[in-house]
Amino acid sequence: MPVTRITKRPSDTRSVPVLSDPDVGHYPEFAAFLVETFELAEKPLESPGLLDVDGQVYELIFIGRSGRPFPAAIEIAALVPGLEPMNTDQTDKDLWAIMEWLIEGVGEPWSLEALRTTADIYRVRPPAA
Amino acid sequence: MPIPYQEHTIYRSIKDLGPHVASRYPYESKFANVNGWRMHYIDEGPRQAPPVLLLHGNPTWGWLWRDTIPPLLAAGYRVIVPDQIGFGLSEHPHTPSAHSLDNHAANLVALIDQLELSGIFFVCHDWGGPTGLSALLTRHERASAVAVMSTWAWREPASDFHRAVMPWLTLHAPLTGPHIMGRQGAFPGRSMYLSVVDRKHMLEDALSAYMSVTPDVGDRRLTWQWPRSIPVNPDTDIAADRFEWLEAGVRDLNIPSTIIWGREEQVFTADVFTPVWHEIWPHAEGTHMVTGNHFLQEDSGAEIGDLLVDFARRNVRITKEA
Repeated sequence: MPVTRITKRPSDTRSVPVLSDPDVGHYPEFAAFLVETFELAEKPLESPGLLDVDGQVYELIFIGRSGRPFPAAIEIAALVPGLEPMNTDQTDKDLWAIMEWLIEGVGEPWSLEALRTTADIYRVRPPAA
Repeated sequence: MPIPYQEHTIYRSIKDLGPHVASRYPYESKFANVNGWRMHYIDEGPRQAPPVLLLHGNPTWGWLWRDTIPPLLAAGYRVIVPDQIGFGLSEHPHTPSAHSLDNHAANLVALIDQLELSGIFFVCHDWGGPTGLSALLTRHERASAVAVMSTWAWREPASDFHRAVMPWLTLHAPLTGPHIMGRQGAFPGRSMYLSVVDRKHMLEDALSAYMSVTPDVGDRRLTWQWPRSIPVNPDTDIAADRFEWLEAGVRDLNIPSTIIWGREEQVFTADVFTPVWHEIWPHAEGTHMVTGNHFLQEDSGAEIGDLLVDFARRNVRITKEA
């Protein structure tokens, strides 16, 4: 499923938190990839990063923490229309696509094969992924 | 000091987990306030008997020791089994800094102080090792003996498992770890199923008790946060200093000790880890090999209990304070 960075936030949506990581500093290459992708070095605390996953938009909220390099933490939220319920099955598939986008972007030694095999060992890869 | 809500709130206890659990873990739920968190524990056997402190790791709770406890009680020991903060029937804080290695070790120190334990036989599995041994070193005058199984107390990961991108580092990484282990519930679910010898028994008789105390995503935070205290990168490690202190401390520790390991252990493999323990503690008994993978208590809980009783009868002393 294609994951594309976009810059225009869809209107009339609410932010539904779906995944958070309070400390992303232990492998700095992950933060470095996100800093570069979303130009956080120049404008760290402007609008959240936006990703389009097959028409569903997710925002990445970058969080600072005293004494830690920025971003120290990340929250991913689905932008869901109005007050409509979120489709959680679809969200799981989309999140998986974001995980693959992330690993592919960070690069070696991280790999899609390792991610997919790990997920298969624990049987958590969404069926259509 | 009680938490103000404690007098007026009904917390979930062992009996609330249903007869499947309560009949096989038939003990009274107790709660202590440790560093502001609500810790669940059981405390069985005569109050004046030597205390045996059974310490679990990730992603388990006191239930792990259910088959190990009866031989110890039958032999006359006092048995105390806390659920580490973040697991079991203890409070599950969502504040990340609650889950530092230091804070978890300090929670055990607080429990030891509140129960005024002395002459303690520490029994440490998995993260019950770094936390329990840190507590032991902090209250060394109250320690009588120690047993370790599938655990470690040194800075460098001694296992290829902890250096491999698949699966360990992928589970350890930003976002993928919380997604796979937390949101998707791989821990304790399938991870525990895969880490025993008798998987049919695990699935039919035990796994639901682990999963029922971590039902929601937020309840599983410690499953992916605890591993991040394992030193893997000198530039970013958050607990390396504590592990250096811990290793130095256990090397100076000269109390009766015994080592018990699972023959089928795949994470803390016996051929790599037990020689390190014997090098650190040349006086240690063992290694006693039992049937078992990482959660060896699931396959050999009663046998482990018998081994602990045999060791304790020869080595656990009652201190003046007991």
